Amino acid sequence: MGNGHDHTHGAHAPIEHEETPGYYEILEISIRELLIEKGLIKPDEVRKQIEVLDSRSPALGQKLVVRAWTDPEFRKRLLANGNMAAGEMGITIYDDTAFTVLEDTPEAHHMIVCTLCSCYPRAVLGLPPDWYKSKQYRSRAVKEPRAVLAEFGTIIPDHVKVIINDSTASQRYMVLPLRPEGTANYTEDQLEKLVTRDTMIGVTLPVIE
Amino acid sequence: MSTESLVKHLPNDIGGTGCSDDKIEITERQLYPWEKRCHALLDVLDFHKIVNTEEKRRGTENLGSEMAAKLSYYEKWIVSASNCLLQKGLITPDNIAMKTKEVAARYNITL
Repeated sequence: MGNGHDHTHGAHAPIEHEETPGYYEILEISIRELLIEKGLIKPDEVRKQIEVLDSRSPALGQKLVVRAWTDPEFRKRLLANGNMAAGEMGITIYDDTAFTVLEDTPEAHHMIVCTLCSCYPRAVLGLPPDWYKSKQYRSRAVKEPRAVLAEFGTIIPDHVKVIINDSTASQRYMVLPLRPEGTANYTEDQLEKLVTRDTMIGVTLPVIE
Repeated sequence: MSTESLVKHLPNDIGGTGCSDDKIEITERQLYPWEKRCHALLDVLDFHKIVNTEEKRRGTENLGSEMAAKLSYYEKWIVSASNCLLQKGLITPDNIAMKTKEVAARYNITL
């Protein structure tokens, strides 16, 4: 470490890390610099887009869930048209994908997957975890969902249907979990804490600590 | 053994193929900085319609089963982006060869 290489190449130096890059990182740096040199992208666009990526997190989805839990009319609008309802809360489903919220009921629990790649409601949850993109999850979720749920510590009673929803390039999903019993007097902050990313993917259920 | 399944399913079309021995590695990690830059780069390319998301996806689907299995998620993205740009004539193989050599040299690596 610290082999004294010279960062004389200006504006992009601070967003590179100090460890020795592998082939793919070298390729990424090279492609980006070539695109800038050819005038196809501007020098600061990647950095700005990283800020946009960082601004998206499960906190957005949490707000949708908590509002649906506390406002029955909003819940209806959210279930009818996820894109428009998200827009009401200032969340843009930026890539024109259809965004559908799946309502858990006492009879049915929903789970989401993308068997082909990694389609995920990034606009409301941020970037997906590695396991969501993994071969194991993608191949097994549609085939043995209860076994997959068990690996997350989630047991759905036999009388409750488990519905797997396969996301696509044009259709994204988010789960609206059931509001846990005993939360009638919870504040919005307290309710938000119950709604983790994994409950909105449907691999776990909200639990009161 | 029938090869029909290969015809009907691209390497990434794996829904329903796994078994309970394929345990899910439930871990959390931050993206490496280069991975985040890679994601952001593809977003920028899509915004400008230089390489759109569908083209990038097709590029990852076209890598073949060996690369699909051996490359990580974002490694596939950057290879796909590179291939798309080459196919469109927006960059050349020489561009890549020379630039990667130059970048590697900054880290005292010889490619």
